[in-house]
Amino acid sequence: MLDRMLTHPELLELVNELALQRRIVGPVARDGRYFYEEVTRATDLDLTFNYCVYSPRGALFPPQETLFVFKRTNGTFTAEPVIDVRPTALVGVHPCDIHAIRLLDHVFEQDQRDEHYLSRRAHTMIVGIDCQRPCTEGVFCADMETNAADKGFDVMLYPLSDPGATEPLYGVVYGTSIGRDWVLYGRRGRIPTATDERTFEQYQRHKTDAFPRMLRMKADELPALLDRSYDSLLWEATARRCYSCGSCNLSCPTCYCFNILDETDLSGTTGRRERTWDGCHLREFAEVAGGHNFRPKAGSRLRHRIYRKAKWIRQRTGLPGCVGCARCDRACTAKINSVEIYNQLAEEV
Amino acid sequence: MKPRIAIFSLTGCEGCSLAILELEDQLLDLLGAVDIVNFREGMTDRAWDIDIGFVDGAVSTPEDEKEVRHFREHCKVLVAIGSCACLGGINTLKHYQGATGPKGRGAIGENGSDAYRRYVYGDKAEWFPTTEARPISAVVKVDYELPGCPMVKEEFLAFVTSLLAGRTFKLPDFAVCVECKKRGTLCLYEKGILCLGPVTRAGCNAICPAFGSKCEGCRGIVSKEALVAAGINLREQYNVELQEVLDDLRLYGAYQEADLP
Repeated sequence: MLDRMLTHPELLELVNELALQRRIVGPVARDGRYFYEEVTRATDLDLTFNYCVYSPRGALFPPQETLFVFKRTNGTFTAEPVIDVRPTALVGVHPCDIHAIRLLDHVFEQDQRDEHYLSRRAHTMIVGIDCQRPCTEGVFCADMETNAADKGFDVMLYPLSDPGATEPLYGVVYGTSIGRDWVLYGRRGRIPTATDERTFEQYQRHKTDAFPRMLRMKADELPALLDRSYDSLLWEATARRCYSCGSCNLSCPTCYCFNILDETDLSGTTGRRERTWDGCHLREFAEVAGGHNFRPKAGSRLRHRIYRKAKWIRQRTGLPGCVGCARCDRACTAKINSVEIYNQLAEEV
Repeated sequence: MKPRIAIFSLTGCEGCSLAILELEDQLLDLLGAVDIVNFREGMTDRAWDIDIGFVDGAVSTPEDEKEVRHFREHCKVLVAIGSCACLGGINTLKHYQGATGPKGRGAIGENGSDAYRRYVYGDKAEWFPTTEARPISAVVKVDYELPGCPMVKEEFLAFVTSLLAGRTFKLPDFAVCVECKKRGTLCLYEKGILCLGPVTRAGCNAICPAFGSKCEGCRGIVSKEALVAAGINLREQYNVELQEVLDDLRLYGAYQEADLP
C-alpha cells in the first residue's frame, strides 16, 4: 500500500526544505560514477543514479573519527567524548544499503553500545529509493533477498514512472513518523488512487522477473555450504591473486571492523583517540601482541571474509552479512569474485 | 633536556629536508620540543653531538658513503627520510642506462665513465666519481625509515611525536588502496589505468590517485606477497607484459627486490 504520490519537482522541493534542517547526503555524479556526498541543494543530487561506488556507511561510521580528546594539566587527566549530533538525511539509499545499515545498527547496539555510531544514527533520517531492476551487472541482491526493503527507512520512494519519463512519479511509503511528517507537513504530493495502486502492483510483479539469480543456492543454504568447504583448495587457489589490499572490506557496506589509535601532540599534554576503518584482508588484522598472526596467509583471510559475510553474521544476527551489492567484486583489481566463489564451492561438494 | 636533531642530505633534491621547513604551522611546536643542531637546508651552525639524525638522499658517490658513515657515528638514532634514502629512489634509474648487465642493469665501475655520466657531465665526467646508487641501509645500520617522494611531512611529525613520547613507531603495513577507499577515490583501474597502489605501502593518504595520477610506488613495495599477486594478475587479468610493470616499479624501486613471478 502506498501512502503518498510525489512528482519529481515536488520531491526536490521537499528535499530543499529538509536541507534547511539537516545536512543532506546523497548520490552525486563524479568521474562518470556516483558517490554519496554532502549537498546543499536537491538539484545537486541525481536520484536516477544506477549505483554509488561506495556505500553510504561512511555517513554513519566515518572512515576516520575522533572518539574522545584528552588533556593532561598539572598532573590531572581529563577526557572529553566527541559525539556527532548533526541532523542528517541520507537521501537516495537503495534497499541493499538499507539492509546493510540495519546490520550496522544491530552490531553497534549489541553488548557495549557504541554511542558514537548510535548518536549519528539517531540523528540520521533515511530516504530510500527502490530499484526496479538491477543497478548494474554482477549484483546478486535478489539472491541475498536484499533487493527490496520493508523497514530500515523513514521514507521509501518507488519510481513508478517509466525510465526517461519527462516527470518521474514516485510512490511513497512511510517507514516512520519522521518520514511521514516530512512529506505531510511539506504539503506536497497527493493521495494515491486505485490506478496508482495497480501501477505499484505491476511494478512489483515486473521487479520479480527483472533480477537475475546469480547463485546456485539460496542465501540460507550458504552457511551449510561453507560448513562443508572449510578445507577446500579453492581458498588458497583464489587467494594467490589476492593483494591483501583490503579494497573488498573497505568498500563493503556491512564491514564494521575498526582500529583504534591514540595520537598526541608534540608536547604530549593533549591528544585524541582515533577510530579508523580496518579490514580482515589486511595482513596485520589478526596479529596480536607478541607477533602471532592468526591468519597469516591470504587464503585464510579470504575464507574468513566469506565466512563472515555468508555464514557467521547470518547465524549470529539473523540478518544478511552480505547484501549482494557486489562492491567487493568491483573493487577487486585482481577480479576475485564472490559469486564465483560460492558457485565453485557448490560444485565441489 | 630536549633531544638534539640533525638533518643531513646525500644525493637527492633535498625536497625531504625542505618538507620539514614546510611544516609551517607546526614548526614552532617542533622547535619547542627538539633542538635542531645541524641542518644544511635550514641553518649555518654545525654540531656533531646528535640524538636523532635524519638523512635524505641516496648513497650514490664515494663521498656519500664516507658521509653516511660519519652521520652514523655521530647519531644515536639514524632515520632515513624519503625514497632516495629509504629505497635508493630515482637515483637508481642510472643503473638502467647504457651498458647492459644482469636484468638490464648497466655495469657501474668504481670510477667508471659510464654512458649516463657522460650524458650528464660531458667531457667532465671523470671529475664526478660515482657508485651504484643505494639506500643508506645498504651502507650503515638504519633505525627507522620514512619513505615517500617527498617524505610525508605529517608522518615525520607523527614519528618525532612517537619517539618523544617513548612509543613505538611503525609504518603502515597495508597498501595505498586502503587510503583511496577511505577518501572515496574512484579506483584508477576502473578508468583502465594500471596503478601501483595495490603493491605500494600506504601512509601518503593516497594523494596521487586522489588527483587522478596513478600511484608510482614512491613509498616502496608493501609486501612480497602483493608483488607476487601483481605478477599473476597483470599477466592473467590484464594481459600486460611484466617488463612494463617492472619499468614502472623501477622509477623509485629499482633497488628493491622486484622479482615478479
